[in-house]
Amino acid sequence: MVVDVTSSYLGQYASLALMLLVGVGFISVSLLANRFLRPATPGAAKLSAYECGVDAVEGDWARSQIRYYVYGYMYLLFAVEAIFLFPWILAFDLPGMLVRSAVEMGIFAALLALGLLYAWRKGVLRWV
Amino acid sequence: MSALLLSAALGLPILAAILMLFVPVRQAPWWGLGAAIIILAASCALLAGREHFGMWHEVNVRWVSNLGVNWHLGVDGLSWPLIGLTALLVVGCAAYLLDRPVQRDVRQLLALIFVLQFALVGVFLALDTIVFFVFFELTLPPMYAIIAGWGGAKRTYAARKFALYTLVGSALLLLGVVLLSIDAGTTNLVTLQGGGHGSLAVFAILAVAFAVKSPLWPLHTWLPDAHTEAPTVGSVLLAGVLLKLGTYGFIRVGVGTMPDAAADASPVIGIFAVGAIVIGALICLAQTELKRLIAYSSVGHMGFVLLGIAAGTTAGLQAAVIANVAHGFITGLLFVLVGIIKERYGTGELAQLGGIRFSAPRLAAIFGLATIASFGLPGLAGFWGEAFAIVATVQRGGGLWMTLASCAAIGAALTVAYFLRVLRQVIARPADAVQPTSGWSFGEVIAVVPLVLGVLVLGLWPNGVLSLSLGPVTQIAEALP
Amino acid sequence: MLNTVTLAADIKAPSMNYEALAPMLIVFGAGCASVLVEAFAPRAARHIVQTVLTLVALIAGFVALLFVDRDGLKTAADAIAIDTTGLFLQGTILVLGLVSVLLIAERSLTPGGEFVAHAAVAPGSTDDKKLTASVYSQTEVFPLTLFAIAGMMLFVTANDLLVMFVALEVFSLPLYLLCGLARRRRLLSQEAALKYFLLGAFASAFFLYGVALMYGYAGAVDFASIHNAVQADRGDETLLLMGLAMLIIGLLFKAGLAPFHSWTPDVYQGAPTPVTAFMSACTKIAAFGGILRLLYVGFGELKDDWRPLLIGVAILTMLVGSILAVTQQDLKRLLAYSSIANAGFLLTGALAMNKEGVSSTLFYLVAYGFTTLGAFAVVMLVRDADGEATHLKRWAGLGRRSPIIAAVMTFFMLAFAGIPLTSGFTSKFAVFSAALAGDAVSPVIVGVIASMILAFPYLRLVVLMYVTEPGESGADVHVPGAFTSAALTLGVVATLLLGVAPQPLLDLAEQASQFVR
Repeated sequence: MVVDVTSSYLGQYASLALMLLVGVGFISVSLLANRFLRPATPGAAKLSAYECGVDAVEGDWARSQIRYYVYGYMYLLFAVEAIFLFPWILAFDLPGMLVRSAVEMGIFAALLALGLLYAWRKGVLRWV
Repeated sequence: MSALLLSAALGLPILAAILMLFVPVRQAPWWGLGAAIIILAASCALLAGREHFGMWHEVNVRWVSNLGVNWHLGVDGLSWPLIGLTALLVVGCAAYLLDRPVQRDVRQLLALIFVLQFALVGVFLALDTIVFFVFFELTLPPMYAIIAGWGGAKRTYAARKFALYTLVGSALLLLGVVLLSIDAGTTNLVTLQGGGHGSLAVFAILAVAFAVKSPLWPLHTWLPDAHTEAPTVGSVLLAGVLLKLGTYGFIRVGVGTMPDAAADASPVIGIFAVGAIVIGALICLAQTELKRLIAYSSVGHMGFVLLGIAAGTTAGLQAAVIANVAHGFITGLLFVLVGIIKERYGTGELAQLGGIRFSAPRLAAIFGLATIASFGLPGLAGFWGEAFAIVATVQRGGGLWMTLASCAAIGAALTVAYFLRVLRQVIARPADAVQPTSGWSFGEVIAVVPLVLGVLVLGLWPNGVLSLSLGPVTQIAEALP
Repeated sequence: MLNTVTLAADIKAPSMNYEALAPMLIVFGAGCASVLVEAFAPRAARHIVQTVLTLVALIAGFVALLFVDRDGLKTAADAIAIDTTGLFLQGTILVLGLVSVLLIAERSLTPGGEFVAHAAVAPGSTDDKKLTASVYSQTEVFPLTLFAIAGMMLFVTANDLLVMFVALEVFSLPLYLLCGLARRRRLLSQEAALKYFLLGAFASAFFLYGVALMYGYAGAVDFASIHNAVQADRGDETLLLMGLAMLIIGLLFKAGLAPFHSWTPDVYQGAPTPVTAFMSACTKIAAFGGILRLLYVGFGELKDDWRPLLIGVAILTMLVGSILAVTQQDLKRLLAYSSIANAGFLLTGALAMNKEGVSSTLFYLVAYGFTTLGAFAVVMLVRDADGEATHLKRWAGLGRRSPIIAAVMTFFMLAFAGIPLTSGFTSKFAVFSAALAGDAVSPVIVGVIASMILAFPYLRLVVLMYVTEPGESGADVHVPGAFTSAALTLGVVATLLLGVAPQPLLDLAEQASQFVR
């Protein structure tokens, strides 16, 4: 089977690949040019974590509170699920859709609220 | 009435098995003996209404119709002798356990024996290929448990080997009967009889399955281990009935349903059968342990049965039937006697035994009787099968069959040789060896007497069995090309 | 914007057949209610409330199922197909789920039950020691189980690939969590959960990629459109085959089929035993329900392409499962490998490509489900101070100390080994004869060999229980509580009945093997 590169489905990716090639080429060329054109004076200070004179005090592994994760998770839940509201906004005032769509969206929102309720009762929302 | 009789023959063993779990342990063997005698009576009741051709009693109800399986049972002249043999041997086993200390709960052992009897009777009654397989497979767990639970020192190894061979055999059997049934569109063994379905390949699959069970050389190697390690009652049932599943299956399912393929394959079976006779005898000559020797002797005897089947004439198949039954009695008796000898003298080594003639004359007499019956002295049970098998082979004519017949005759002579060696060693040699620790117990007498009578009656009046099986055997033989 | 508005005007509310969806809705609703119970009921009351709620919900779901129209219909914009196969599978999931819940709710074997009191406490910490003795347990297992069951019910009736994917996630996510909640050997349990999650996420990604490729091929994700596209032979065949391969990989993983089986032993061993039981019974049903629908409804036209491949998968699965089962020393791992091999037997039935193939697979799922639930229930009973004693050596001589439990386990082992008059024989016989009738001879031959090999590990356990002398390290057998007794009884009765009188269920399965497209 001869694949016609321009018209087949995968062929459309050929332009993307070309784009990618050009992009990588551009960056490589400019970095290489920079390497040859710039002056080079290495020093210990330049290798420290912050180049502004403040010494780093700890290692590079740090723990964050688990609460950030839970909060982030709950934010994500609502942020993503909110996407479902947009098509609903467009459709809910169409004839015959009002009550039904309101009830269905109510159930949907209630399910989300259930999650929040559970999180609240389990003490996730307390910040200390 | 038919349904009732068949249900009784098949159902009573299961009831007995359940009963065994609830009786007091001290009286359990008595209960077992009673139950076994009732089952024997129920099996004999099947004789009522016997006919020359066709089924004496038949039951056929739908079981799993989606899979085309019917609960189809029946008894005819081919199956009844083996059912009667099973019932009689179970009576012997129960009697043997009467006043005998066993390693662990005797009730469980008896229950397993009855479960085994249920499965065995089921195989002989089955007239549906799948039901046949179901019961064939069901014989494995109780026998496995008997060997593994009550066996000798190497029982785990022996039980595992037994299970391995049996599972291979039953897997092939399942494949064979399913292929046959799909090809024929029915699972009914009665309509399947006479042929027209299956192929040489299907027959070969089934033949290997039955050959493992029979066992046919060179698939016999599970047998000596299983027999040697099994408890006496296990050996009796194993040699007396379980091996017959293979030969019965050969006749009923193999030759009966695929006569053309059987005829094509018969030279091969014949060669292997004669090989089994000769090689079995040679192995026996080299044995040093009594129980193992008796075990190996089965290989040769079953070789005669298979030679009869391979010959494929009415005479040959009749030889197979009578040799089957006779071997059941004789080997059952031999194993009981070996069990008694090993118990009284504490050893089964031929080198250590000796002089039983002096220390236990009656035991020696019966052992001598069983031995000469086993090598086929005319007038005793073992004669008819071997003689007919060789005669039938000669009747087939042609170079191959004549050669097979003469080799089989040489094998028979070798059989005489090794049994005479045993007799000289165990009975006649002067008694410088071990002394018995006990005499006859009541249970042993009850166990031995019916088997001795069986050996004598079958030897003097073989027509008792042959007249029953003549009808079905003629039908099968006539279908052969 | 104009474009969007016109689109909105075209929106028609999809018709919902609430009666047909009722069983699922009941279970989903009960799951939500169960979360509320978790949030508001006092801790001491939760276990009993949750147990009752869960059992009632499952029974109510089953009753609702009985009233569903059996003619086969599609609802929710054709995204869900309530056909007889779907109903049969849903009913099976509900019944076996109910039995699993009995095991999950059991608390009389060990204080607080099989589940940890606080899953968040780090294993090995000082707080951790108190957990083992705590009389509480993480009762979130009940809502999680309900959601998993509801997800499975949706999965087996999903009529398009997206709903299928959503359902896959809905039933998988609770299972990942449930695996990590064991009270004893918590690190092993958490490792199992993490492994299952990572590999499961990987498989989900494959499935989703497959959905995307399939959309690229057919321009739709519902089975009818895909079927039509395949039939009309339009679209790019490369996309079709790649997409199908990805979808199948995702499902093979869930069903535990080789070469995507490697998670099974670790997860089965580490997860709390009631959860293992639940997974081995219900997840199998869901996965095979999905496989059947995908292959028969969506890609039946393409069977010449996928069938040889899947026959290879079935053969490999049966061999891997049975051979590795022989070498196992831990009972839960042994049962895991046995479940892998059984998945191979199931696939053999599914590949028959005839009506018997579907009905025998359905029958097998029911029979295997009851037996495996029973076997795991017995595993729960054999314990020592450290929890369940799953090492095979610890089972030595069990037949003497506890003859009834040993007899029950022996019966289950005989059923697994496919000995006649147990459901194991009937079901194997049914799938093998269906496959033979469908000309799939090679997997049947391998299947017969594999079931022979598999008989050995089972027989070995039986020998251990009855023949081997009990060593110093023999474990105790606990008296089963009411729930476990009920589950055990159901397992034994079903295994026996389906072996002796399988006709009614076979009839039902045969009537049920009817898909709508």
